[in-house]
Amino acid sequence: MKREIGLDARPENLKVIRDFIEDACREAGVPASEAKDIKLAVDEACCNVVEHGYAGSPGPGPVGVAFEADGKTIAVTVSDRGRSFDPSQAPGPDVGAGWRDRRIGGLGWHLIRQLVDDVRYESGAAGNRLTLVKRRPPVPEKTERG
Amino acid sequence: MEITTLQRGSITVIAIAGSIDGMTATTLVTSFREQVAGGNVRIVSDFAAVEYTSSAGLRALLETVKETRQQGGDLRLAAVQPDVLRVLELSGFTHILKLFPDVEAAVASFPA
Repeated sequence: MKREIGLDARPENLKVIRDFIEDACREAGVPASEAKDIKLAVDEACCNVVEHGYAGSPGPGPVGVAFEADGKTIAVTVSDRGRSFDPSQAPGPDVGAGWRDRRIGGLGWHLIRQLVDDVRYESGAAGNRLTLVKRRPPVPEKTERG
Repeated sequence: MEITTLQRGSITVIAIAGSIDGMTATTLVTSFREQVAGGNVRIVSDFAAVEYTSSAGLRALLETVKETRQQGGDLRLAAVQPDVLRVLELSGFTHILKLFPDVEAAVASFPA
C-alpha cells in the first residue's frame, strides 16, 4: 500500500501531515501504538523542514510525504528541496542532564531515533530524502505444542 | 490548541487543550513568557486535555522551567495523559519536571 501527499512546508500543514499519517496507518492496519510513534517521528521530520529547510528562502518550498506499508515494514519518506541536513550529524541531547544543563534543542532527532527502527538520509540534485522505517512485529502464528 | 489562565492564590494555572506542535507551540511559549515577565514564576500547567505534543512543546516546557527556577519559582505539570507522558519519558523530561496527578496536588505542592 502506498499513499503520498505534497504540501508547502508551512507550520499549519503539520497537522494536515499528521492526519494523513493517521489515515494511512489506519488503512494499512497499523496498531494504534505504532501509528502514534510513526506520526510523531514524521511530525518531527517535517517540523525540521518547516523550521530550517527553507530558512533564508523567499518563501516556503515543497515538502512531500510518502507512506509505504507491506507485511514487514512501514516506511515513510519525507522529501524537500531545501538545505540538506544529515541527521547522523545531529548532536543528541543529554537526557540524563539536570535542568540547568539541558540544552533547548536537539530533541526532535532524539525522538525520531527512539521512535523508528531505521533512519536513512539521501541528499542530491533532486533534493533531500529522509526515510523513516519501522519494522512490523510478526503476525503471531498459532503455536503448536509438541 | 486553547490556553486558559487563572490565578489560584500565588499560583498561576495555565490549562492547555488540544495538540502542541511546531505551529501551536509558538502560542504556548508566548503565554508562558508573558506570565514569567509579569513576575508569575509559580506556574502549574494543566495537561489534562493535551492529547499530543512534539518536541516543540518540550522546548517550551524546558525554557519555562529554566526561567521560573532561576527566579525561585517552578513550572509543574498536572494530569499528564499517557501519550504525552511517553514523549516526556523518551526525552528524559520526567527527571527534570515535577508531575502531579491533578491541579489540586500540583498547586498544593508549592510552599505557602
